[in-house]
Amino acid sequence: MADEYEFEIKRKDESGKVYYSTYKVPKDKISTVLEGLLYIKENLDQSLSFRYSCRMEICGSCGMEIDGKPRMACSTIVEDLKKDHIKIEPLKHYKVIRDLVVDIDPFFDKYREVKPYIIRDDDGKYDKELPQTPEQFHEYANFAMCIKCGLCMAACPIEGSDPNYLGPAPLAAAWRYIADNRDQGAKYRVEVVDGEEGTSRCHFAGECTEVCPKGVDPSFAIQKLRRTALKIEIASIFGGR
Amino acid sequence: MVEVNKEMKEGITAWAKFYKKGMGYFAFAFHRLSGLVILFYLYLHYTVLSNLLRGQATYNAIVKSITYGPYDSFLVLDFLLALVIFYHGANGVRLALNEFGIGMYHHKALFITFEIIAMVLLGLFDYYALQFVGVGF
Repeated sequence: MADEYEFEIKRKDESGKVYYSTYKVPKDKISTVLEGLLYIKENLDQSLSFRYSCRMEICGSCGMEIDGKPRMACSTIVEDLKKDHIKIEPLKHYKVIRDLVVDIDPFFDKYREVKPYIIRDDDGKYDKELPQTPEQFHEYANFAMCIKCGLCMAACPIEGSDPNYLGPAPLAAAWRYIADNRDQGAKYRVEVVDGEEGTSRCHFAGECTEVCPKGVDPSFAIQKLRRTALKIEIASIFGGR
Repeated sequence: MVEVNKEMKEGITAWAKFYKKGMGYFAFAFHRLSGLVILFYLYLHYTVLSNLLRGQATYNAIVKSITYGPYDSFLVLDFLLALVIFYHGANGVRLALNEFGIGMYHHKALFITFEIIAMVLLGLFDYYALQFVGVGF
Protein backbone atom coordinates (compact mmCIF):
# COMPACT_ATOMS: atom_id res chain seq x y z
CA MET A 1 0.00 0.00 0.00
CA ALA A 2 1.23 3.46 -0.89
CA ASP A 3 1.59 6.15 1.78
CA GLU A 4 -0.34 8.65 -0.34
CA TYR A 5 -3.88 8.91 -1.62
CA GLU A 6 -4.45 10.03 -5.18
CA PHE A 7 -7.36 12.48 -5.45
CA GLU A 8 -8.66 12.75 -9.01
CA ILE A 9 -10.96 15.78 -9.11
CA LYS A 10 -13.27 16.94 -11.87
CA ARG A 11 -12.73 20.64 -12.49
CA LYS A 12 -14.57 23.33 -14.40
CA ASP A 13 -12.99 26.73 -14.91
CA GLU A 14 -14.61 30.11 -15.57
CA SER A 15 -14.55 29.53 -19.34
CA GLY A 16 -16.61 26.36 -18.88
CA LYS A 17 -13.72 24.02 -19.74
CA VAL A 18 -14.01 20.66 -17.96
CA TYR A 19 -10.92 18.65 -17.04
CA TYR A 20 -9.52 16.40 -14.30
CA SER A 21 -6.71 17.27 -11.88
CA THR A 22 -4.89 14.66 -9.84
CA TYR A 23 -3.24 15.39 -6.47
CA LYS A 24 -1.22 13.25 -4.11
CA VAL A 25 -2.28 13.59 -0.47
CA PRO A 26 -0.26 11.99 2.37
CA LYS A 27 -2.32 9.41 4.27
CA ASP A 28 -1.06 10.50 7.69
CA LYS A 29 -2.33 14.07 7.20
CA ILE A 30 -6.02 13.41 6.59
CA SER A 31 -8.88 11.18 7.62
CA THR A 32 -11.92 12.52 5.76
CA VAL A 33 -12.35 13.51 2.11
CA LEU A 34 -12.98 17.12 3.17
CA GLU A 35 -9.67 17.15 5.03
CA GLY A 36 -8.04 15.86 1.85
CA LEU A 37 -9.59 18.68 -0.17
CA LEU A 38 -8.48 21.22 2.44
CA TYR A 39 -4.95 19.78 2.32
CA ILE A 40 -4.93 20.25 -1.47
CA LYS A 41 -6.31 23.79 -1.15
CA GLU A 42 -3.74 24.79 1.48
CA ASN A 43 -0.67 23.02 0.11
CA LEU A 44 -1.05 22.06 -3.55
CA ASP A 45 -3.58 24.12 -5.49
CA GLN A 46 -5.30 27.22 -4.13
CA SER A 47 -7.53 27.46 -7.20
CA LEU A 48 -9.54 24.35 -6.25
CA SER A 49 -13.11 25.34 -5.35
CA PHE A 50 -15.49 23.43 -3.10
CA ARG A 51 -18.20 24.33 -0.62
CA TYR A 52 -18.08 23.42 3.07
CA SER A 53 -18.90 24.90 6.46
CA CYS A 54 -19.57 22.94 9.66
CA ARG A 55 -17.31 19.90 9.00
CA MET A 56 -19.66 17.72 11.05
CA GLU A 57 -22.52 16.70 8.74
CA ILE A 58 -24.95 19.32 9.98
CA CYS A 59 -24.85 22.16 7.45
CA GLY A 60 -25.26 19.98 4.34
CA SER A 61 -22.80 22.06 2.30
CA CYS A 62 -20.11 19.61 1.19
CA GLY A 63 -22.14 17.13 -0.86
CA MET A 64 -20.25 15.73 -3.85
CA GLU A 65 -19.88 12.54 -5.88
CA ILE A 66 -17.17 10.56 -4.12
CA ASP A 67 -16.15 7.28 -5.74
CA GLY A 68 -19.28 7.31 -7.90
CA LYS A 69 -21.78 7.93 -5.13
CA PRO A 70 -23.24 11.14 -3.63
CA ARG A 71 -21.73 11.59 -0.17
CA MET A 72 -20.84 14.29 2.34
CA ALA A 73 -17.10 15.05 2.09
CA CYS A 74 -16.92 15.83 5.81
CA SER A 75 -18.23 12.47 6.98
CA THR A 76 -16.67 10.23 4.35
CA ILE A 77 -13.63 8.54 5.87
CA VAL A 78 -11.11 7.98 3.07
CA GLU A 79 -9.88 4.72 4.60
CA ASP A 80 -13.43 3.32 4.46
CA LEU A 81 -13.41 3.65 0.66
CA LYS A 82 -10.74 0.92 0.66
CA LYS A 83 -8.78 2.35 -2.25
CA ASP A 84 -5.92 4.75 -2.80
CA HIS A 85 -7.31 6.40 -5.93
CA ILE A 86 -10.34 8.56 -5.04
CA LYS A 87 -12.41 10.07 -7.83
CA ILE A 88 -14.35 13.19 -6.86
CA GLU A 89 -16.91 14.96 -9.03
CA PRO A 90 -19.58 17.61 -8.44
CA LEU A 91 -23.09 16.41 -7.59
CA LYS A 92 -25.10 15.22 -10.57
CA HIS A 93 -28.33 16.91 -11.63
CA TYR A 94 -27.10 20.35 -10.55
CA LYS A 95 -25.54 23.09 -12.65
CA VAL A 96 -21.82 23.26 -11.91
CA ILE A 97 -20.63 26.77 -11.04
CA ARG A 98 -16.96 25.93 -10.62
CA ASP A 99 -15.05 22.72 -9.81
CA LEU A 100 -17.06 20.97 -7.06
CA VAL A 101 -19.39 23.91 -6.37
CA VAL A 102 -22.90 23.46 -7.74
CA ASP A 103 -25.88 25.79 -7.96
CA ILE A 104 -28.37 24.50 -5.38
CA ASP A 105 -30.97 27.25 -5.95
CA PRO A 106 -33.28 25.03 -8.06
CA PHE A 107 -33.31 22.52 -5.20
CA PHE A 108 -34.42 25.14 -2.68
CA ASP A 109 -36.97 26.51 -5.16
CA LYS A 110 -38.51 23.04 -5.32
CA TYR A 111 -38.30 22.77 -1.54
CA ARG A 112 -40.32 25.97 -1.13
CA GLU A 113 -42.99 24.61 -3.49
CA VAL A 114 -44.21 22.12 -0.87
CA LYS A 115 -44.72 24.82 1.81
CA PRO A 116 -42.26 23.40 4.37
CA TYR A 117 -43.76 25.00 7.46
CA ILE A 118 -46.71 24.50 9.81
CA ILE A 119 -49.94 25.73 8.26
CA ARG A 120 -52.91 26.37 10.55
CA ASP A 121 -56.54 27.05 9.68
CA ASP A 122 -56.56 29.53 12.59
CA ASP A 123 -53.57 31.30 10.98
CA GLY A 124 -51.46 30.68 14.08
CA LYS A 125 -53.84 32.60 16.37
CA TYR A 126 -54.46 29.74 18.82
CA ASP A 127 -54.89 30.63 22.48
CA LYS A 128 -53.51 27.44 24.04
CA GLU A 129 -50.45 25.35 23.28
CA LEU A 130 -50.68 22.55 20.75
CA PRO A 131 -49.90 19.30 22.59
CA GLN A 132 -47.92 16.50 20.97
CA THR A 133 -47.40 13.01 22.34
CA PRO A 134 -44.09 11.14 21.82
CA GLU A 135 -45.93 8.85 19.37
CA GLN A 136 -47.10 11.84 17.34
CA PHE A 137 -43.57 13.24 17.37
CA HIS A 138 -42.14 9.97 16.06
CA GLU A 139 -44.56 10.08 13.12
CA TYR A 140 -42.40 12.77 11.50
CA ALA A 141 -39.16 12.78 13.53
CA ASN A 142 -37.17 10.82 10.92
CA PHE A 143 -38.08 13.29 8.17
CA ALA A 144 -37.23 16.29 10.34
CA MET A 145 -33.59 15.09 10.35
CA CYS A 146 -33.10 16.29 6.76
CA ILE A 147 -30.16 18.72 6.48
CA LYS A 148 -31.06 19.74 2.91
CA CYS A 149 -27.73 18.58 1.50
CA GLY A 150 -29.42 17.57 -1.74
CA LEU A 151 -27.59 14.23 -2.07
CA CYS A 152 -30.93 12.48 -2.66
CA MET A 153 -31.63 14.75 -5.62
CA ALA A 154 -28.28 13.74 -7.15
CA ALA A 155 -28.93 10.04 -6.54
CA CYS A 156 -32.50 9.98 -7.90
CA PRO A 157 -32.53 8.56 -11.46
CA ILE A 158 -35.81 10.34 -12.22
CA GLU A 159 -34.21 13.71 -11.41
CA GLY A 160 -31.68 12.86 -14.10
CA SER A 161 -34.25 12.26 -16.82
CA ASP A 162 -36.90 14.77 -15.68
CA PRO A 163 -35.49 17.88 -13.96
CA ASN A 164 -39.03 19.16 -13.34
CA TYR A 165 -39.70 16.31 -10.89
CA LEU A 166 -39.99 17.75 -7.39
CA GLY A 167 -37.57 15.19 -6.01
CA PRO A 168 -37.07 13.18 -2.83
CA ALA A 169 -36.12 15.89 -0.30
CA PRO A 170 -39.00 18.28 -1.08
CA LEU A 171 -41.50 15.41 -1.06
CA ALA A 172 -40.09 14.09 2.23
CA ALA A 173 -40.43 17.62 3.63
CA ALA A 174 -44.07 17.68 2.51
CA TRP A 175 -44.68 14.46 4.39
CA ARG A 176 -42.75 15.74 7.44
CA TYR A 177 -45.32 18.56 7.83
CA ILE A 178 -48.39 16.55 6.79
CA ALA A 179 -47.48 13.91 9.41
CA ASP A 180 -47.17 16.61 12.10
CA ASN A 181 -50.37 16.64 14.18
CA ARG A 182 -50.14 20.45 14.60
CA ASP A 183 -50.29 21.01 10.85
CA GLN A 184 -53.51 21.49 8.86
CA GLY A 185 -51.95 22.22 5.47
CA ALA A 186 -52.18 18.81 3.81
CA LYS A 187 -54.97 19.98 1.50
CA TYR A 188 -52.72 22.74 0.14
CA ARG A 189 -49.62 20.58 -0.24
CA VAL A 190 -51.50 17.81 -2.00
CA GLU A 191 -52.12 20.15 -4.94
CA VAL A 192 -48.33 20.29 -5.44
CA VAL A 193 -47.18 16.82 -4.45
CA ASP A 194 -49.97 15.01 -6.29
CA GLY A 195 -49.43 17.06 -9.45
CA GLU A 196 -47.81 15.97 -12.69
CA GLU A 197 -44.28 16.45 -11.31
CA GLY A 198 -44.99 15.05 -7.87
CA THR A 199 -45.22 11.60 -6.33
CA SER A 200 -46.42 9.92 -9.53
CA ARG A 201 -42.96 10.48 -11.03
CA CYS A 202 -41.32 8.35 -8.31
CA HIS A 203 -40.60 4.76 -9.39
CA PHE A 204 -39.31 3.61 -6.02
CA ALA A 205 -35.66 3.02 -6.95
CA GLY A 206 -34.87 3.87 -3.33
CA GLU A 207 -31.48 5.47 -4.05
CA CYS A 208 -32.52 8.60 -2.13
CA THR A 209 -32.82 6.52 1.03
CA GLU A 210 -29.55 4.68 0.28
CA VAL A 211 -27.45 7.86 0.09
CA CYS A 212 -29.05 9.98 2.83
CA PRO A 213 -26.30 10.74 5.39
CA LYS A 214 -28.87 11.33 8.16
CA GLY A 215 -30.88 8.13 7.67
CA VAL A 216 -33.97 9.92 6.36
CA ASP A 217 -36.22 7.68 4.25
CA PRO A 218 -37.66 9.84 1.44
CA SER A 219 -38.88 6.86 -0.62
CA PHE A 220 -41.02 5.79 2.37
CA ALA A 221 -42.37 9.35 2.70
CA ILE A 222 -43.33 9.42 -0.98
CA GLN A 223 -45.36 6.20 -0.67
CA LYS A 224 -47.11 7.64 2.42
CA LEU A 225 -47.80 10.85 0.50
CA ARG A 226 -49.40 8.89 -2.32
CA ARG A 227 -51.86 7.26 0.06
CA THR A 228 -52.63 10.53 1.82
CA ALA A 229 -53.11 12.35 -1.49
CA LEU A 230 -55.47 9.63 -2.68
CA LYS A 231 -57.54 9.91 0.52
CA ILE A 232 -57.79 13.69 0.18
CA GLU A 233 -58.66 13.52 -3.53
CA ILE A 234 -61.39 10.93 -2.86
CA ALA A 235 -62.72 13.01 0.04
CA SER A 236 -62.83 16.09 -2.20
CA ILE A 237 -65.00 14.20 -4.73
CA PHE A 238 -67.55 13.70 -1.96
CA GLY A 239 -67.39 17.33 -0.89
CA GLY A 240 -64.88 16.99 1.95
CA ARG A 241 -61.51 18.80 2.24
CA MET B 1 -43.79 25.51 -11.33
CA VAL B 2 -40.14 26.00 -10.52
CA GLU B 3 -37.88 27.24 -13.30
CA VAL B 4 -35.49 24.38 -13.95
CA ASN B 5 -32.06 24.59 -15.51
CA LYS B 6 -31.89 22.05 -18.34
CA GLU B 7 -28.18 21.53 -17.65
CA MET B 8 -29.37 19.32 -14.79
CA LYS B 9 -30.81 16.85 -17.24
CA GLU B 10 -28.78 13.69 -17.60
CA GLY B 11 -30.94 12.07 -20.28
CA ILE B 12 -32.82 8.79 -20.34
CA THR B 13 -29.58 6.86 -19.90
CA ALA B 14 -29.42 8.13 -16.29
CA TRP B 15 -31.36 5.12 -15.04
CA ALA B 16 -29.07 2.64 -16.78
CA LYS B 17 -26.03 3.38 -14.60
CA PHE B 18 -25.57 0.66 -12.01
CA TYR B 19 -22.21 1.50 -10.42
CA LYS B 20 -22.48 1.82 -6.62
CA LYS B 21 -26.28 1.43 -6.67
CA GLY B 22 -28.44 -0.50 -4.22
CA MET B 23 -30.86 -3.40 -4.69
CA GLY B 24 -33.86 -1.09 -5.08
CA TYR B 25 -32.12 0.56 -7.99
CA PHE B 26 -31.56 -2.74 -9.76
CA ALA B 27 -35.22 -3.59 -9.22
CA PHE B 28 -36.19 -0.24 -10.72
CA ALA B 29 -33.82 -0.37 -13.70
CA PHE B 30 -34.67 -3.96 -14.67
CA HIS B 31 -38.36 -3.20 -14.23
CA ARG B 32 -38.02 -0.51 -16.91
CA LEU B 33 -35.86 -2.67 -19.14
CA SER B 34 -38.26 -5.61 -18.87
CA GLY B 35 -41.18 -3.25 -19.54
CA LEU B 36 -39.52 -2.13 -22.79
CA VAL B 37 -38.92 -5.77 -23.81
CA ILE B 38 -42.60 -6.60 -23.13
CA LEU B 39 -43.71 -3.57 -25.13
CA PHE B 40 -41.47 -4.63 -28.04
CA TYR B 41 -42.89 -8.17 -27.84
CA LEU B 42 -46.46 -6.83 -27.87
CA TYR B 43 -45.91 -5.17 -31.25
CA LEU B 44 -44.02 -8.22 -32.55
CA HIS B 45 -46.99 -10.33 -31.47
CA TYR B 46 -49.38 -8.03 -33.34
CA THR B 47 -47.18 -8.31 -36.44
CA VAL B 48 -47.28 -12.13 -36.33
CA LEU B 49 -51.03 -12.14 -35.66
CA SER B 50 -51.60 -9.77 -38.59
CA ASN B 51 -50.62 -12.70 -40.85
CA LEU B 52 -54.11 -14.08 -40.17
CA LEU B 53 -55.24 -11.54 -42.74
CA ARG B 54 -53.21 -13.49 -45.32
CA GLY B 55 -55.21 -16.65 -44.66
CA GLN B 56 -55.23 -19.63 -42.29
CA ALA B 57 -52.62 -21.63 -44.22
CA THR B 58 -50.08 -18.79 -44.22
CA TYR B 59 -50.54 -18.13 -40.52
CA ASN B 60 -50.27 -21.82 -39.59
CA ALA B 61 -47.11 -22.16 -41.69
CA ILE B 62 -45.50 -19.25 -39.84
CA VAL B 63 -46.43 -20.60 -36.39
CA LYS B 64 -45.22 -24.09 -37.37
CA SER B 65 -41.90 -22.74 -38.68
CA ILE B 66 -41.30 -20.94 -35.38
CA THR B 67 -42.37 -23.89 -33.20
CA TYR B 68 -40.96 -26.92 -35.07
CA GLY B 69 -38.44 -25.48 -37.53
CA PRO B 70 -36.70 -24.19 -39.48
CA TYR B 71 -36.95 -21.15 -37.16
CA ASP B 72 -37.46 -23.04 -33.88
CA SER B 73 -34.47 -21.22 -32.35
CA PHE B 74 -37.03 -18.46 -31.69
CA LEU B 75 -38.30 -20.69 -28.86
CA VAL B 76 -35.24 -19.66 -26.84
CA LEU B 77 -36.47 -16.07 -27.11
CA ASP B 78 -39.86 -17.26 -25.85
CA PHE B 79 -38.21 -18.56 -22.69
CA LEU B 80 -36.33 -15.29 -22.25
CA LEU B 81 -39.63 -13.48 -22.74
CA ALA B 82 -41.20 -15.62 -20.01
CA LEU B 83 -38.30 -14.72 -17.69
CA VAL B 84 -38.86 -11.01 -18.35
CA ILE B 85 -42.64 -11.25 -17.85
CA PHE B 86 -42.34 -13.20 -14.59
CA TYR B 87 -39.75 -10.73 -13.27
CA HIS B 88 -41.80 -7.70 -14.31
CA GLY B 89 -45.04 -9.14 -12.94
CA ALA B 90 -43.57 -10.05 -9.55
CA ASN B 91 -41.89 -6.67 -9.10
CA GLY B 92 -45.06 -4.94 -10.31
CA VAL B 93 -47.12 -6.64 -7.60
CA ARG B 94 -44.50 -5.63 -5.03
CA LEU B 95 -44.62 -2.01 -6.20
CA ALA B 96 -48.43 -1.96 -6.16
CA LEU B 97 -48.46 -3.29 -2.58
CA ASN B 98 -45.87 -0.71 -1.53
CA GLU B 99 -47.87 2.09 -3.11
CA PHE B 100 -50.88 1.01 -1.07
CA GLY B 101 -48.66 1.24 2.00
CA ILE B 102 -48.25 -2.53 2.45
CA GLY B 103 -44.80 -3.90 3.28
CA MET B 104 -42.99 -0.57 2.98
CA TYR B 105 -40.74 -1.30 5.94
CA HIS B 106 -39.64 -4.55 4.28
CA HIS B 107 -39.66 -3.66 0.60
CA LYS B 108 -36.29 -5.27 -0.10
CA ALA B 109 -37.31 -8.54 1.58
CA LEU B 110 -40.60 -8.33 -0.31
CA PHE B 111 -38.70 -7.90 -3.59
CA ILE B 112 -36.52 -10.96 -2.93
CA THR B 113 -39.52 -13.06 -1.83
CA PHE B 114 -41.64 -12.13 -4.84
CA GLU B 115 -38.79 -12.76 -7.26
CA ILE B 116 -38.02 -16.17 -5.73
CA ILE B 117 -41.72 -17.12 -6.08
CA ALA B 118 -41.71 -15.78 -9.66
CA MET B 119 -38.63 -17.80 -10.59
CA VAL B 120 -40.14 -21.01 -9.13
CA LEU B 121 -43.29 -20.38 -11.19
CA LEU B 122 -41.08 -19.66 -14.20
CA GLY B 123 -39.38 -23.03 -13.72
CA LEU B 124 -42.79 -24.77 -13.69
CA PHE B 125 -43.87 -22.79 -16.74
CA ASP B 126 -40.70 -23.73 -18.63
CA TYR B 127 -41.12 -27.40 -17.70
CA TYR B 128 -44.70 -27.59 -19.01
CA ALA B 129 -43.86 -25.46 -22.06
CA LEU B 130 -41.09 -27.89 -23.03
CA GLN B 131 -43.45 -30.83 -22.50
CA PHE B 132 -45.93 -29.07 -24.78
CA VAL B 133 -43.45 -28.72 -27.65
CA GLY B 134 -42.38 -32.32 -27.21
CA VAL B 135 -39.09 -32.05 -25.32
CA GLY B 136 -39.25 -34.79 -22.70
CA PHE B 137 -37.26 -35.18 -19.48
